[in-house]
Amino acid sequence: MIETILILVIVLAIPLFFIGVFMISGYNRLVGLRNRFKNAFAQIDVQLKRRYDLIPNLVETAKGYLKHERETLEAVIQARNTAVSANAAAGQNPGDPAAMKQLAGAENMLTATLGRLFALSEAYPDLKANTTMNNLTEELTSTENKVAFARQAYNDSVMTYNTARERVPTNIIAGMFKFDAAELFEVEKPEQREAPKVSFS
Amino acid sequence: MDFFARQDQARRHTVRLVLYFILAVALTVLLIYLIVAVIFLRDGASDNLLRLWDPGLFAGVAAATLLVILAGSLIKTAALAGGGGAVARMLGGVLLNSQTDDPDERRLLNVVEEMAIASGTPVPEVYLLPGEGGINAFAAGFQSTQAAIGVTRGCMRLLSRDELQGVIAHEFSHILNGDMRLNIRLMGVVHGLICITVIGRVLLYSSSRHHAYGRYALGARSSGRGNNPLPLLGLGLLVIGGIGVLFARLIKSAVSRQREFLADAAAVQFTRNPDGLAGALKKIGGLTQGSRLQSAHAEEASHLFFGNGLKPSLFQGFSTHPPLIERIQAIDPQFDGTFPAVSDIKPAEPRQPSGRPPAPERPRRQVRPPMLPDLLGMAAAGAAAGSPLSRPPPPPLPARDLVNHVGQPQPNHLDYAVELLAALPSEVNVAVRDPLGAVAMVYGMLLSPDPAMRSDQVEMLRQKVEEGCLAELKRLAPSLASLHHAFRLPAVELAFPALRQLSPPQYERFRSVTRAIIESDRQLDLFEFSLGRMLARHLDGHFHPTRPKGAQYHALKPLLPDLTVLLSALAQVGNVEEARKEAAFAAGLKRLGFGGETTLLPMAECHLGRIEPSLDKLALASPALKKRLLDAALDVVAADGTIRVQEADLLRALADTLDCPMPPLLPEGSDLTN
Repeated sequence: MIETILILVIVLAIPLFFIGVFMISGYNRLVGLRNRFKNAFAQIDVQLKRRYDLIPNLVETAKGYLKHERETLEAVIQARNTAVSANAAAGQNPGDPAAMKQLAGAENMLTATLGRLFALSEAYPDLKANTTMNNLTEELTSTENKVAFARQAYNDSVMTYNTARERVPTNIIAGMFKFDAAELFEVEKPEQREAPKVSFS
Repeated sequence: MDFFARQDQARRHTVRLVLYFILAVALTVLLIYLIVAVIFLRDGASDNLLRLWDPGLFAGVAAATLLVILAGSLIKTAALAGGGGAVARMLGGVLLNSQTDDPDERRLLNVVEEMAIASGTPVPEVYLLPGEGGINAFAAGFQSTQAAIGVTRGCMRLLSRDELQGVIAHEFSHILNGDMRLNIRLMGVVHGLICITVIGRVLLYSSSRHHAYGRYALGARSSGRGNNPLPLLGLGLLVIGGIGVLFARLIKSAVSRQREFLADAAAVQFTRNPDGLAGALKKIGGLTQGSRLQSAHAEEASHLFFGNGLKPSLFQGFSTHPPLIERIQAIDPQFDGTFPAVSDIKPAEPRQPSGRPPAPERPRRQVRPPMLPDLLGMAAAGAAAGSPLSRPPPPPLPARDLVNHVGQPQPNHLDYAVELLAALPSEVNVAVRDPLGAVAMVYGMLLSPDPAMRSDQVEMLRQKVEEGCLAELKRLAPSLASLHHAFRLPAVELAFPALRQLSPPQYERFRSVTRAIIESDRQLDLFEFSLGRMLARHLDGHFHPTRPKGAQYHALKPLLPDLTVLLSALAQVGNVEEARKEAAFAAGLKRLGFGGETTLLPMAECHLGRIEPSLDKLALASPALKKRLLDAALDVVAADGTIRVQEADLLRALADTLDCPMPPLLPEGSDLTN
């Protein structure tokens, strides 16, 4: 009688063991991948914040020269503020589709208004010659490059996560433990901006 | 006891660990069998103990128990193989970003960076445990390439800079000594014993549900025996599991307690400041929560921590750490037992500035991007922000006793690291902290100084990397051109946290581009080579973790061809005249006791294609052999009385490949203009 129980236990235990192992490793894998894209978003976040910090100063500097272009300047500030709150919302929940789409939209708007500002400043040689303006523009370009790089890393991680959660058999675990699909962070390519030329030799 | 002897000792401890574990498993099986037999085999009348023996039952119990224990161990070990970060996250750790604004986080990262540079290792990942108010810290990771340091919120906020430095130095000594590998193995192995408790609990609670049913259905309360043996079995397993936990703690304490004293001693020696570490220990004593951890995983990871993370246990023998008072008295014999009163800080509060003026901070380093006032032209005169010219580096360190300092950085290494970091140009300092900047900086460092070659390399880069990266590279070019050579490897060590943030596809591109640049100039540039090896070893270790290989060579004879290549390369690069080359080579051979058994290879045969596989093979030597190898290499390099920049770089590459962290060195009064 006891032997039967024991044999039963062992016979049941072996497949249960394998199922257990599979479940634990699948869960761990999904958690790891989710962590990775959340960390990747944190990297974008740092650079976006830097970008948002630079913009008010840029606008202040430009104000003195672009006295009659108030709408453009205000549009930039508006777009920047919208982007700041969209970023904060996305930071609470990286990968959430609604938040990411909103952030992407806000970023696109900001890039567009900045583009208008820089297009305008072409007509003001004094502004273009101003060293502060040049420093800020260069810093802004550099920060935008860093944002793009960080976005690439984020999107790579999101794709890996999404693929893992759709694959059989990990998708079973994804369903069981509510691993939702993450959203990519896609923006439109910014126009090439004229950064001060640095000779490279 | 030096680094190499400690590595050997760590190996012996592992053997001891396995033996204890086997003993514990055997005892556990016996005890479980006893309980099962008592429950199932005893018929009320007879008390004959011999009746309890049933070979079939024993085999079954043994098999089931072994299955559970081994499964638990294997699963845990596999989960932990993901590196120190896996352990940190299990405990609730949050990875700190090296561009953080929070002053306490910044301070912690500064301390870790100084130690990493002083000991010649890449900056490890740093995790914060925000939910832990007690003062505690840990270091984890299977290999030094996967090391992670974790620090509780209490530790970060409540300690002074000196005390924090003492704690981090203690953790670094665990990393340098190879204790971590043993610790992780311990965790995996012991987890199997703890599993039994879990199963016992499950059985106990599940059968109590049956109990409720049974009461309504049968109208009678079962005693738990006879009809329904499971709950008693569950209870029994819980008891056994508790015994398993005790065995686990015994094993852990047998292996780990002495090491805590050793790590304390190493930390004091490294920082040359006993007050720091003693102060931290005293604050633990003064805080109500002490070093206790809230996490549910505190038991599993108890031996990894700086202070005792569990409630004080009944039996001293079961504790993984020596008593607090003993530890303090070992550092500060005058200690009279009174602890300072330390009040906790709520999680959301930053550290409140006290009325007193702050203690003199080490030279403040500018780690933010150029401050906005500076960009707007309002910088205070004399600020170093944005200046592309580097300040001169601190004076050189003696090259003697280098090998003795492997894994045991000295106080002057730490001072040197602090000054080096303070003198690092701010452009570079900012660049190393974000992934794009770090990648661009590495590319920039690898570019050839020869203009023609350089423009070819840039053309090649244009095909392979994105515009943003190229733009960043152009931005950094002036700073890198004027960067003193002494800063180069430390800057790369600082870049590792950012490089680890690359996504796997980005990392593959980075690797292939760096390889393309290194191979493009077809010359033996040893700095490039050592940089490439360092990147490969530590980043591959992060992105493609592999099991560490044990020592395969315990005698020098089989390694003779590889030794020849290495010593020849060193001799060739460090000397100009043929006679000197031969002399240097002979000096190295003499140190190894090989006399005239092999000859110096010509320059043509000392190319990277041969050095690389030789180094790979030498990496599989035992620690004692590695020590002799490094001694011999140093003899070759020092034979002509000066150590050139190229030789210094190759020595560090060699040490890094052999997993022997070598503190920074500068040539002793020789030319740095190369």
